[in-house]
Amino acid sequence: MKPARRIGLALLLLWSLVPIYWAVRTSLQTESDARATPVQFLPLNPTLENYRTLLTGDGEVPAQIRRSAWNIVIECGAATVVTVLLATLAAYAFARMRFRGRKVIFYTVLATMTLPAYTTLIPLYRIMSQFSLVNTYTGIVLVYVSGFLPLATWVLYNYFSSMPVSLEEAATVDGAGRLQVLWHIVLPLARPGIISTALITFLFAWAQFLFPLVLSSDLSTQPLTVVIAGLQGRHVVPVTLLDAAGVLAIVVPVVLALTFNRYIVNGLLAGSTR
Amino acid sequence: MTAVLAPKATVQSSPSRFDVLPYLMVAPVTLFIAGLALLPAVFAVVQSFFIVDALDPPMRWAGLSNFTGLFGDAAVRSSMANTGLYVLIGVTLSTLLGTAAAVLLQRPFRGRSLVIAVMILPWALPGVVEGILWQGIFEPNSGLISAVLQLFGADGGLLLGQNRLLTIGLIELVQVWQITPLSALLILAALQLIPDELYEAAQLDGCSPWAAFRRITLPLARPGIAVAMVQAVIATLNVFDQPYVLNGAASTGASVTMQTYFVSFQNLDFGAGYALTLLITLATLAISMAVVRLVYRKVEM
Repeated sequence: MKPARRIGLALLLLWSLVPIYWAVRTSLQTESDARATPVQFLPLNPTLENYRTLLTGDGEVPAQIRRSAWNIVIECGAATVVTVLLATLAAYAFARMRFRGRKVIFYTVLATMTLPAYTTLIPLYRIMSQFSLVNTYTGIVLVYVSGFLPLATWVLYNYFSSMPVSLEEAATVDGAGRLQVLWHIVLPLARPGIISTALITFLFAWAQFLFPLVLSSDLSTQPLTVVIAGLQGRHVVPVTLLDAAGVLAIVVPVVLALTFNRYIVNGLLAGSTR
Repeated sequence: MTAVLAPKATVQSSPSRFDVLPYLMVAPVTLFIAGLALLPAVFAVVQSFFIVDALDPPMRWAGLSNFTGLFGDAAVRSSMANTGLYVLIGVTLSTLLGTAAAVLLQRPFRGRSLVIAVMILPWALPGVVEGILWQGIFEPNSGLISAVLQLFGADGGLLLGQNRLLTIGLIELVQVWQITPLSALLILAALQLIPDELYEAAQLDGCSPWAAFRRITLPLARPGIAVAMVQAVIATLNVFDQPYVLNGAASTGASVTMQTYFVSFQNLDFGAGYALTLLITLATLAISMAVVRLVYRKVEM
């Protein structure tokens, strides 16, 4: 490999990792070490005190972090399960079955992908408040699912379309019902596509901020992102604690992205070829 | 089901009879999209022509006053200028950096998939938390940039919220960090389709690597670059998380989406919020289409 390429790759890795490293460094320091000059590039006296405070402490901030971490897991988990389930059914029908209105419905679903997500922010808020769903898990999950369904349907549609029909035909000739074929033949083969879709949906849900900022008014439903943004403006919260909270909020996406990067890359590429 | 009635008949007879199964399978998605995407979008369009103010009921016809009111509002005008800068900086930087990263990753090498895994990390993180991570970099006293400056005996760091252009540039840098991985992947996918023989032939003809990049890589990467630019346009025109966290409500960095949030959910003037939403949506669609027309070229290989 040429040296120029080596340097380029090193810069790419640094660019991607340094901001994460710096927050991890700060989160492992005491407040006075974090503010010391000259600045310590490595945490010289590392401590887990900030994490201990957030995970087991009594104060208001640790309680908020713990509750909102629970909320974000529930909301993202539920949104992912519902999205993948509904998108799988629809994508399979769109890819393999012939019925009147198929094209119209399919393209209408896809067309909503071209709208920026925030187009529907205010009307969705007003609809949710009409039905008293503001500040409920149900309201947030409904909004997430409606936002993620078009992409999930599109990724899965592409996946099903790329699979050979022969196995399904063979099973049908053997007398298997269409839902049996879907359950026993198609779904096991489509697992990589389903995993990709689930991961992308989950990561999108985890990153949400403006929708839950509007749709949840207190700690009963606020996800971690909303609580962390709220802490940020308050100068009473030390930067070391804030960064520890930030690191807690990115542990899940970082682990998922590193472990399942192939699925994520494939899903992203399947979702954007139009 | 009794097997006496020839099972093949069910397969063959289905086209003539009304088949309810596919409708049942697409119904949930259709209902979600109709009720929670199309209907709200229609609401947004219709109600942008009404006065919808929680503090000033009832709802009544407003004509174009929501739209004209926007242009008379200095905060809105300033947020539009800010957003223009976010788009310009963000689309340019993410496309250049994304192309550079894609070219670095074009040829297979040991550890390439690991580099890609690390590269997509910023894409996977919430924008809000990214704001907090980068605050640690920018912080004027103990941030990473001031620390590096101190090593060289220089003083100071970067204070957000003072100089408008600097503030917007730094905030957008954080968003560029988030959106560039996807740009790189999309462009890389286009590069993977270029046959190696083209480069070999170019080399035999005495083409320099730069000439090969200009004459082979760049033209053939156009579909990928176009899609990457469209995703960057959508993300930057609707930027919210990074400026909200890094700069709060300060007018030096407020984006149009932030202004929409303030107008609708703090002033409760939903009519104006709808009008502003509609403007961003139309701008997003128009600029995305322009990018596709200018950059996209179908490539036959």
